[in-house]
Amino acid sequence: MIRISAFAFACFAPALFAACDNKPADTTAPPAASAATPAASTPAPAVASASAASETAGPPLKIAYSDWPGWVAWDIAMQKGWFKEAGVDVELKWFEYAPSMDAFSAGKVDAVAVTNGDALVTGSTGAPSVAILINDYSNGNDMIVAKKGIKTLADLKGKKIGVEVGLVDHLLLLKALESAKLTDKDVKIVPMKTDQAAQTLKSGAVDAVAAWQPNSGAALKEVPGSTAIFTSTNVPGLIYDVLAVNPKSLAARRVDWEKVVKVWFKVADFIKDEKNVDDAAKIMSARVGLTPDAYKLLMGGTAFQDMAGDILHFKKGDGLDSIYGSSKIVDDFNVKNAVYKAPMKYEEYLDPSLVDDASKSKM
Amino acid sequence: MVPPSSAVRGGARTRISEKPRWFAVRRDVPSKARPWFWIGAFLIPLALWSIVSYVPWIWHPLVLVTDVGDAKVQGQFSYLEADQLVDKADFVGRNAELAAAHAKLAQGIPSNPIFLPAPHQIARAFVTAFRTPPQLAGDLWLHQSLLHSCQVIFWGFFYSALFGLPLGILCGTFPPLARLVEPFVDFVRYMPAPVFGALAVAVLGLGDEPKITIIFIGTFFQMLLIVANTTRAVNGGLLEAAQTLGASNRQLLWHVVVPGALPQLYRDMRILVGWAWTYLVVAELIGEMSGISAFLYQQQRYRHFENVYAGIVMIGIIGLVTDQVLGFIGRYLFPWETGNRQLFRLFARLRGRRAPLVEAAGQPKPAPSV
Repeated sequence: MIRISAFAFACFAPALFAACDNKPADTTAPPAASAATPAASTPAPAVASASAASETAGPPLKIAYSDWPGWVAWDIAMQKGWFKEAGVDVELKWFEYAPSMDAFSAGKVDAVAVTNGDALVTGSTGAPSVAILINDYSNGNDMIVAKKGIKTLADLKGKKIGVEVGLVDHLLLLKALESAKLTDKDVKIVPMKTDQAAQTLKSGAVDAVAAWQPNSGAALKEVPGSTAIFTSTNVPGLIYDVLAVNPKSLAARRVDWEKVVKVWFKVADFIKDEKNVDDAAKIMSARVGLTPDAYKLLMGGTAFQDMAGDILHFKKGDGLDSIYGSSKIVDDFNVKNAVYKAPMKYEEYLDPSLVDDASKSKM
Repeated sequence: MVPPSSAVRGGARTRISEKPRWFAVRRDVPSKARPWFWIGAFLIPLALWSIVSYVPWIWHPLVLVTDVGDAKVQGQFSYLEADQLVDKADFVGRNAELAAAHAKLAQGIPSNPIFLPAPHQIARAFVTAFRTPPQLAGDLWLHQSLLHSCQVIFWGFFYSALFGLPLGILCGTFPPLARLVEPFVDFVRYMPAPVFGALAVAVLGLGDEPKITIIFIGTFFQMLLIVANTTRAVNGGLLEAAQTLGASNRQLLWHVVVPGALPQLYRDMRILVGWAWTYLVVAELIGEMSGISAFLYQQQRYRHFENVYAGIVMIGIIGLVTDQVLGFIGRYLFPWETGNRQLFRLFARLRGRRAPLVEAAGQPKPAPSV
């Protein structure tokens, strides 16, 4: 124990000094203080913008997001100044997907953009969250890409399939096999990092890969003759992408979060309007470093959800068209695959009330 | 090989001075030729890379399809599309199919995989990357990102040296301390620094602190051991000589060990800075993505490998320049090893010029020891 604490001291001693450097403003708190409760405790630096300042209480809401069209779309709201307009101070924090969940678990951000399933996984490690908003569901961006010669799911029998075990596309794969009357016993699953899907398929080490965009697209492009034999269009609603909020922050700042929900609906309406497609693609592609045209392809595989969509998919139900049904399926999957041990109370991870309230009081 | 008698005595020596041999054990290159070797060190890999990239019959395992030929002909390889990179065998197979059907053949150019872009592509990507303005409000120019990366490296290495140098020197000087510290450091240094990423974020937040900490963890423990070993290598004869003259522990440390080890420690630090850079890419991806690594990672994800290599080249250039500058400074720093007293003479002259001022200011305090 002494050794460990000595080591911990040695590791974090620099931080004490680092805190003295002039840094971006958000990290001024000394480590001990910032390790405490994230949302309410730190006093507001009151840097909220002019007109909105009177309505905004507390520090900016920090939202961690990562590279997925449904989430990159938040940049539209930021670039257009819609958060300010709505009177809510938001900071978007650009992350890798896994580190974004780490930051959320550590209480360093108030909300994180995740899939409904990964919200459960994060919750199982002691960081509960509440999904207040559905950004989109995957509609084609998640794929099973098979090399040439494999035309149908039935052909997968006895074949090797690369997939990142325990993450969403593992679920997609099992659903796909189920639809072809196969199980995971009939194939050989090869663990793989999703961002290496293209190389893995090309190397010939596997016969198919399950991955999401842009990795699935890269696999299709770089392995000539390969085809997508199953995609999330076959199971729309299996993978919902949500805004998962820290319950404490939600309780303390409910009014602000409702404004965030309304801003999202504005973004969704903007994207869905044909004449805005170029503008939207321009902003979103700039975030990830693609050309707008290349990005439109990825947007096509994402079913962005507006207010009507959110109301529809937040209705309770057993099927995949309800986020409740989807979460139940994901929960069972996670338990079965030992991602976590006991079933989660997935209903506590979903809160349609902000969407409802937003729909009643139109902006 | 050489007859031992006359050759060893002077004969061999004169022969060598007449005609310099390039490959003799431990004989350095003549100083005039050294810059050429330096340039060659870069030109040779560049030439090899160019050959692989530009000479079509060397490697080039793929074919970039420019014209698919008669697309109506069905066959095993009919999936060919324009602008597609296909295996050479598949391309040949397709043309065999087309030939059998007496249809128009497919055209293509031999190509390398996208993982190996040609030098000119990377040069172009390099320039473009710096000239592209940030697309979104609040984003940074690439040179700003690079500067940010350099700051992270600097602080990570600074704190590592701040603790590592003194502790390492003490361990190298006082064996009891070494026996107490080094086993644990040996144990920790095998731990992969990146796995502390989530912990660092949990404790230190999203800013630069967790990144600096990862670099610190990555370099500190190695540094401590290297510094200790370098300190141990200080000539024991010097220590004995000082001891016979009655030097105290403190005098031995400050007047023998530290000056004895410093020149080599400086060289160690030059190598260890490179070590810090290797952790940068992992460090910058934890917390909020930042710096050159955010650029590298994003470009890699979308498979723009020319940009990825351009980014790698940038890091290489920064490293090389840092090292050369440090090397240049190093030539003037340790006159007791190099015999180069220029810097010290410069200091002495500066001090000499200021001397009257110092005297004037110091008048009320006459030296008590006199």
